[in-house]
Amino acid sequence: MYRKILFSSVVFLFIFSVNAQENIPNMTLKTISGKSIESSEFLNSQGFSIISFWATWCIPCINELDAINELYDSWNENYSIKVLAISTDDARSKKRVRPMISGKNWAFDVYLDTNQNFKRSLNISGIPHTIIAYGSKIIHRRIGYSPGEEKDLLKIISNYKQK
Amino acid sequence: MVSLVMISKGFSQESSSFYGSFESNGIYYQDNENEKYNEQFASNNYLNLNYIFNSDWSFEAQVESYSPLRLQGYSDSFEKTHLSTLNINYTKKGFGLTFGSIYEQFGSGLILRTWEDRQLGINNSIWGLRSTYENDNISLKLVGGFQKKGSQISVGKVIGLDSEITVFSSDQIYQNLTVGLSYVGRFENLAVPAIYPPVGYDFNDLTNLFSARIDYEKNDFYIGYEQIHKTKDGIAQFGLILNDFVKKGSAHTMNFGIAKSGFGFDFTFRRLENMGFFSDRFEQGELFGETTINYLPALTKQHDYSLTNINIYESQPYVSFPDPSLMKAGEIGFQVDLYYKIKKDSFVGGKHGANLSLNLSSWYNLDGDYSYNPLNYNTDFLGFGQKYFSEQSIELRKKWSEKFSNIFLLVNKYYNKRYVQEKIGEINSQVIVVDNTIKLENKKSLRFELQHLFNKDDEKNWYGYGVEYNFNFNFSTYFNNMVNYQNIDDDKPNYYSFGASYTKNSSRFSLSYGKQRGGLLCYGGICRYVPEFKGLSFSINTSF
Repeated sequence: MYRKILFSSVVFLFIFSVNAQENIPNMTLKTISGKSIESSEFLNSQGFSIISFWATWCIPCINELDAINELYDSWNENYSIKVLAISTDDARSKKRVRPMISGKNWAFDVYLDTNQNFKRSLNISGIPHTIIAYGSKIIHRRIGYSPGEEKDLLKIISNYKQK
Repeated sequence: MVSLVMISKGFSQESSSFYGSFESNGIYYQDNENEKYNEQFASNNYLNLNYIFNSDWSFEAQVESYSPLRLQGYSDSFEKTHLSTLNINYTKKGFGLTFGSIYEQFGSGLILRTWEDRQLGINNSIWGLRSTYENDNISLKLVGGFQKKGSQISVGKVIGLDSEITVFSSDQIYQNLTVGLSYVGRFENLAVPAIYPPVGYDFNDLTNLFSARIDYEKNDFYIGYEQIHKTKDGIAQFGLILNDFVKKGSAHTMNFGIAKSGFGFDFTFRRLENMGFFSDRFEQGELFGETTINYLPALTKQHDYSLTNINIYESQPYVSFPDPSLMKAGEIGFQVDLYYKIKKDSFVGGKHGANLSLNLSSWYNLDGDYSYNPLNYNTDFLGFGQKYFSEQSIELRKKWSEKFSNIFLLVNKYYNKRYVQEKIGEINSQVIVVDNTIKLENKKSLRFELQHLFNKDDEKNWYGYGVEYNFNFNFSTYFNNMVNYQNIDDDKPNYYSFGASYTKNSSRFSLSYGKQRGGLLCYGGICRYVPEFKGLSFSINTSF
């Protein structure tokens, strides 16, 4: 019983005392053509990036990215926002990523995190998981997707700009 | 504890950061057939902590607690509270060094993959040393150590080397050629069986796997091939490794596709023969297979609806001879995917357009000569034997207006229960799903789905439905139900669940009550058997 109390106490003290993860870690991912790329290379260094972790089998993830795709041109043109879709598909389904993004005509960049090391480095346990970063600084993160939630992302960016 | 908090505060400086995550999944079981779980609470808990110092050094630790019991359906090796991951990493100018728990993948994972999946109860990380070097054209990795098995260490040792070279790459005409070579060795010294006269094993303690792969792409077209050879090794059957049943293994996978604007096509062929590869040889064929070194997922479409997840295919990469009428040495087959964007203002596309996707897959036993007494087989390279599984599915995503969209899904499936599950029967089934989403005012939305499974065999027909209501972007409730209304053995079993979830930034809390169907739970093509249960469940997820 003592160990359980100790373990629970440590968990809660950590959760409420440590600072949140502040920056996107620099990890190596693959482009859809299989080339290695550092995460620092694809982030919007002078502006906002919306980083969405998804997989070809995850229906809410695809709903979110379909909705973002409809707004992407205007976001990119008016606010210089970069959308980065990080596929967590492993060997089973990663071959489906390239034809799917072509078939859907997604306009944003897609990168592969096949062994989910990038996802792990950001302590993400479930998808969809969306992060907004300014440069490499994390300003917001959220789990899940509800219809219409994509418009909320723009509000968060606008509020951050006004600070 | 106070010290830990002080440390965490002290370390949160500009050049360093301290962060982590916590996940807890608990169930209070009711009316459970297993006495140990009946009217009992069980939970799996994970605390992950990371510290990055000066951008070059990082530390990771994960503590897991299965208290007071582990959730039902997890291996006995997950027990009590223990440190499951601990590593120190150093990276500088393309060079990397890791000491401790290593998560790694060579190529597509056919030869080596160590990863964590909490829902599947998999954490097969290697406890040892990894050295990596990477520049624009070359990637080299060297890994060695012992494999984790629950809270213990497995008996075998693993060593691996992976290289990948970009032979040429041009962005001007968009052309790229990469080749890769890998090696993985497993050393396991088996005790000689206690028989008279004494006989040693007729294979080496060290089993070697060699892999070569090549990928080429030009503009919209891509093609790739990977081949693996495994040196001869003993095959575990009924918990025994016999000297006269020692075989080599191999894997071949070939993939090509076209990806153009609004159109995508992909074809994959794969042949696996005797490709089971565990740090503990006796784990082959066991329920959890925790010490698997390579990753051999089923290449079929992963579904997200409850009735499409009945009779899921598991890949068949192993040699299995349970009786003279059922002898398997691996699998051979293919998968095709097609995606097409239907233009706006067309007959089907309407005002908002639509997305169409097709998937086909067929998997078979390797054809050849099989003998049960003595145990032996010789396979044909391109021989398609008894069919294990086939599936054809078509999905249409259609947005009717700014407020209303839906998904239509049709699935036709053949499932050979005799060959895949080593039970009795063959099943032909069809599933139809209609999934509808309505956006309402003030961040509210409603989603409802209807499903039906047509099945003349096995458990006969099912129907299912589900409703989800989102009050806003944070708070959501749901109810779903599936009924096997033509089941003649049981009295129309039904499985239901209702619950709510609250999400705030990177934290999520959910509570639900219901009765879950037992069977295979699959993620990423790897499956775990979960028993049927009824009870109250909760889940907490937070990243900090």
